[in-house]
Amino acid sequence: MVVYFLTIMLFGTYFGRYTKDTSDFFFGGRRFSWWLITMSIVATGVGSHSFVKYSAKGFEHGFSSSMTYLNDWFFVPFFMFGWLPIIVYSKVRSIPEYFEKRFNPSARFLATVLLLLYMIGYIGIGFLTLGKAVIPMLPEAFHIFGITMDVSLMRAIVVIAVITGVYITFGGQTAVIFTDLLQGFILIFAGFMLFAIGIAYVGGGQAFWDLLPTTWKLPLANFNEPSSFNFVGIFWQDAVAGSVGFLFMNQGLLMRFMACKNVNEGRKAAAINILFVLPLSAVVVGNAGWLGKAISTLSPDIISPNTSPDEIFVVVASIVTSPGVFGFVMAALTAALMSTVDTLINATAAIFINDVYRPLMKYFRKSHSDSKARDKAELFAARLTSIAITAAGVLSVFAFVQFPTVYEAHGYFHSTLTPPLVVAIFMGVFWKKFSPAGVITTFLGGVVLMIIGARYPEMFISPFDHGIEMNPNRPYSYIRALYNLVVCVGVGLFVTYTSSLQNRFITWVRNTNKGQPVMMLITTSATIAFFLLVFGITTFELFYPVIVILFVPLIVTYFGHYDEELATNGLTVWSIAAAKASFKGSTPNEQLGEKIEVKFKLLDNDFDKVLFSKNDLSRMAAEVGDLVYLSDKRKWLGGLKSIHSEYGEPHDEEGVVYINRDHMDHGLFDEGKSLIAEKEM
Amino acid sequence: MEYFSHSWLPYIYLYGIGGIFFFSGVYIVWRTGAIDLKKPHHRMWMKIFFFGYAWFMAIHGLLTIFALR
Repeated sequence: MVVYFLTIMLFGTYFGRYTKDTSDFFFGGRRFSWWLITMSIVATGVGSHSFVKYSAKGFEHGFSSSMTYLNDWFFVPFFMFGWLPIIVYSKVRSIPEYFEKRFNPSARFLATVLLLLYMIGYIGIGFLTLGKAVIPMLPEAFHIFGITMDVSLMRAIVVIAVITGVYITFGGQTAVIFTDLLQGFILIFAGFMLFAIGIAYVGGGQAFWDLLPTTWKLPLANFNEPSSFNFVGIFWQDAVAGSVGFLFMNQGLLMRFMACKNVNEGRKAAAINILFVLPLSAVVVGNAGWLGKAISTLSPDIISPNTSPDEIFVVVASIVTSPGVFGFVMAALTAALMSTVDTLINATAAIFINDVYRPLMKYFRKSHSDSKARDKAELFAARLTSIAITAAGVLSVFAFVQFPTVYEAHGYFHSTLTPPLVVAIFMGVFWKKFSPAGVITTFLGGVVLMIIGARYPEMFISPFDHGIEMNPNRPYSYIRALYNLVVCVGVGLFVTYTSSLQNRFITWVRNTNKGQPVMMLITTSATIAFFLLVFGITTFELFYPVIVILFVPLIVTYFGHYDEELATNGLTVWSIAAAKASFKGSTPNEQLGEKIEVKFKLLDNDFDKVLFSKNDLSRMAAEVGDLVYLSDKRKWLGGLKSIHSEYGEPHDEEGVVYINRDHMDHGLFDEGKSLIAEKEM
Repeated sequence: MEYFSHSWLPYIYLYGIGGIFFFSGVYIVWRTGAIDLKKPHHRMWMKIFFFGYAWFMAIHGLLTIFALR
């Protein structure tokens, strides 16, 4: 395990040489091929508590543990042709930045707060899970140079945090992508190896199939029972809220797609991942539980049916594998956990730099006028931020230790912070009429209605329960997602469809002498109502959401300025062509051209233009001013050595491209090696 | 039918309600012009969308049939 961790740390740190600026640090320079991103997503998607959690569900309920890996396709059209091109072409570097462009700075501020809370909490949960997974495999104490060090959960977490923090801090997104790529392969291999050895252990495939009861073989859970694992609740929590959250709100995953060389490569990475890699991952993470059930049916004395589900992964792996293989499988498990955490740290640093650091620098006018100096300062700040976020993640572990299970801690965060953001993004992208008043009230009003639902589940959530029995200890743990989504969507619809009434009221306020005091009263009332509800002051609490939902749109309309035409151009699905034109800076050239092979020569200038021959330009169907992607010919590099640039004036030397020293350094091109050129747009 | 609430009822719900989201998405990206069926690679993506929907229906359907046999 120690060798594994050190190898991964050195491997990740090596890729620090590919990080020259913040674009490289966060987006890997927007250069990679779809296959490289697909494999690197495996470790991120499978990561965190998947092995433990899905093996447990596989042991308790069978193949239906795979449900959450096979229900992400429904929102793919929205993602591939809506959200993905918008975030790439609008050149936003974080989800909150989209909120400022599409709505206003207040929406960005609220989105930043919600996302940072969510992601730092998520990192904390990741560290907690890592610690819990590693602790059973460690001795009670280490003896180093005569000093005895007791092993504790928090000490293990700190050591893991230091290792993870080091390679992210120095390597950035390229390091994350390449370590995740390596860990993705290890993960898939280890999962299938365990499955194959386990099937041989129980007597072959037919014996394994025959040992499982019918209900364990069914791929979907029972419709509405038990309350701890039912189909309909998981459908709304995972297939709807989870899938939209995964594709639209997961900054780490989005940054991975944004690291692809173009939008179409991002689409390919998403499609291959969801269609083929996720079903394979479902087997990888769940098979230990299925094997555990088969072994317990075959020999209850080897695995008792009463075995704790959370321990089944380790129990099965230790029974069916030899000690060396067991160590390898455990290393793969830890790899999965680490991959989720590294992605989250890098993504959270991206949000902090983009949505806190830059606005603050702008406010205090401390931004450098020279772009290279600014980028250097930002890269340094990004590295410091990664360290600080890693530390904040470790500290947040203290808040989660009190939850009875990691799953509950994770569920608490997911169900509370996901629906308002998911609904806000979705309505913002697909509905032009959705305004700042709508989005801010969806954030604040959605949160207060969710709090009310959590306090009175039998009154508010039961109408949505589909016959699921309420467990008083954890009421409606899954189906509450449907209630949360409905209230957030409901608030957004209500505010948007009543905007003419709000405008009429604000016009009246502006035309009357008492306007300012009236608005002060409204603002104070809404603020007090919001905080009373959040801090649990229960007197008249059912009225607080009404005050928030009625007053917040008025406050936003009165104090804010919003031009719908300007705010939606290129930022909704209705204007993707405008987004593309804005990305290029002129009308995109959609003619289909060839990819060509060229040798490069150096020019002594610092213009960001590359020069091809007239004939090569014609073969690529390109014109001066179009965007071009140049990469090393070796496909297995996956775009690691590549650049984006612009076509300059052509020359007559066929098969040659002139680039400058910056291009060569940034693309890490090797002298004498051929390049492949293709028109981007 | 034995196991109905554990097999075909969730299946119908998944691809019924999920299908509403899926086909709404296909319609919206087509209606807004985000996917342009005059372009060959966009036509390919449209085919992949429907293939994906059928692919997951087939996986769940076949597993259910085999489990109930």
